[in-house]
Amino acid sequence: MTFFIAIGIFAIAYAIIISEKIHRTVIALIGASLMIILGVISQEQAIEGVDFNTLGLLIGMMVIVDIAKHSGVFQYVAIWAAKAGKGSPMPIFILLGIITAVFSALLDNVTTVLLMTPVAFVIANNLKLNPKPYLFGTILLSNIGGAATLIGDPPNILIGSAAGLSFNDFIFNMAPASVLIAVATLLILFFWYRKEFVATDESKKAIMRFEPSEAITDKKLLIKSLIVIGLVLFGFFTHGFTHLEAATIALAGAALLLLLTFNEPDHHLQNAEWTTIFFFIGLFVLVVGLEQVGAIYFLAQKLFMITEGNLTMTTIFILWGSAFFSSVVDNIPFVATMIPLVKDIGTISGLALAPLWWALTLGADIGGNATIVGASANLVVSGMAEKEGHKIGFVEYMKVALPLTVVAMVISTIYIYWRYLM
Amino acid sequence: MARKYIISEFMNTNLITISKTATFKEAVSMMTEKMTNGVIVVDEFQKVAGILSSWDIIQHIVPDYLEEDKHLAAFESGDVFIRRIKEVANTPVTEFMTSKVHKAHPEQSLMAAATILSEFHIRQLPVVDHNDVLIGYLNRTDIKKAIAEILSE
Repeated sequence: MTFFIAIGIFAIAYAIIISEKIHRTVIALIGASLMIILGVISQEQAIEGVDFNTLGLLIGMMVIVDIAKHSGVFQYVAIWAAKAGKGSPMPIFILLGIITAVFSALLDNVTTVLLMTPVAFVIANNLKLNPKPYLFGTILLSNIGGAATLIGDPPNILIGSAAGLSFNDFIFNMAPASVLIAVATLLILFFWYRKEFVATDESKKAIMRFEPSEAITDKKLLIKSLIVIGLVLFGFFTHGFTHLEAATIALAGAALLLLLTFNEPDHHLQNAEWTTIFFFIGLFVLVVGLEQVGAIYFLAQKLFMITEGNLTMTTIFILWGSAFFSSVVDNIPFVATMIPLVKDIGTISGLALAPLWWALTLGADIGGNATIVGASANLVVSGMAEKEGHKIGFVEYMKVALPLTVVAMVISTIYIYWRYLM
Repeated sequence: MARKYIISEFMNTNLITISKTATFKEAVSMMTEKMTNGVIVVDEFQKVAGILSSWDIIQHIVPDYLEEDKHLAAFESGDVFIRRIKEVANTPVTEFMTSKVHKAHPEQSLMAAATILSEFHIRQLPVVDHNDVLIGYLNRTDIKKAIAEILSE
């Protein structure tokens, strides 16, 4: 009986999350409560299922970024790039794409697009160009760059924490793939839009008059932020040897930045995205319920039967399956469900799990590019664009993004095959 | 006559209102003409629909992406100001007015009015009768007048 209750709660919660009729956090928390109230799991089991390492890492990074962005450091870099592109639309497009990818590797994707979308508008307005190519570039590169590191996209944090993969593991295994896909994507976009990228000398001059330092509103804060971000990155690079958990490093960084800036903690702690944090908590508990009744094990067995326990088959199946699902579903709930499933596949088949984790990461992070509703970052950009009278149509976006996502997945397939399966 | 220091004694009844069907353009021209920083928006029954201040007007012409990121305002192209104003010229006032309005009744004390003004940092408090029809408004200057009156007793 509890088997069907658990599946029922999970399926209904998932369906409502996809339909977006009710806020996903509210649904996840209601589903989680029902799992306990209806006796699928106990409260102790629910709390055990919550991955506090993931939560701590998210909260720590949210607080650091919330303080650092007030210094104008990220805007400085973006404006600098426009100037470095000599006011020509094409080099600017490429440079902004690269910066989006790099920011996204260090910040989460939504934060990245919140920083880069206004830049795209300002640049396009100065160049008197249609902002859409820049907006599409921002979406695509933010999801691609996010795949490169442990902290680049929330699913990576989930995977890293559950599979015990370090920051360096991600850089070493995922950054090359992310760079290859970014280069291919930028090249294709370059050919796609090359005729649109024409600017007058006057608008080029407007860009050349930019003084990047005007973006910096608080120099002291800038220095303090850079010191703390540097220390946190150093902490991540070395956590393979120091055995400090990622959450410890991020939260310690947040505490240090609060100390250095003498800021009132109230405001910055409130600015952490608690709605996202509680969404994670709800999800963790929902997935524990499903695990507890054996539903995930059941799915893992099915998958094992389909792929006949063949590592190459299983890996490619997970890569493309994840890409497909995360183009429709938010990748956070998807990955939260997939993690125990991949672990169960390991138990059933005795397969090496590393290729499966990397396939899951690439599929879930980059698959979201395919549609305008595929990832939270896409929705943020399209929301901002619509308010400025540049509504991004579902098909209009997919015409560009779907082929690019397929290309990205082909590159991922070759990369994973060549690196882990040959 | 002894003062009771209630709203009706100090409120303005010379009302400056605008219809909720008015546009951005109409609101700006009316506010410039009447030299005021705030008008009360009313429906066809003289009921309060909202308040429109010069802040609302200014905020409405700033694109959301610049509000999101003030660091970039210095780099925005100069013609965006003109273009944006032309774009929003025909938006109805209901889209950018403050629609959550605190109201008061004429027989309420000035202390009640002052508390609302100070708590919510508002400049104008519409005064309505028991049918919710607008009959006047009270602003910060009116409260100051009452304070001065007591101090000079």
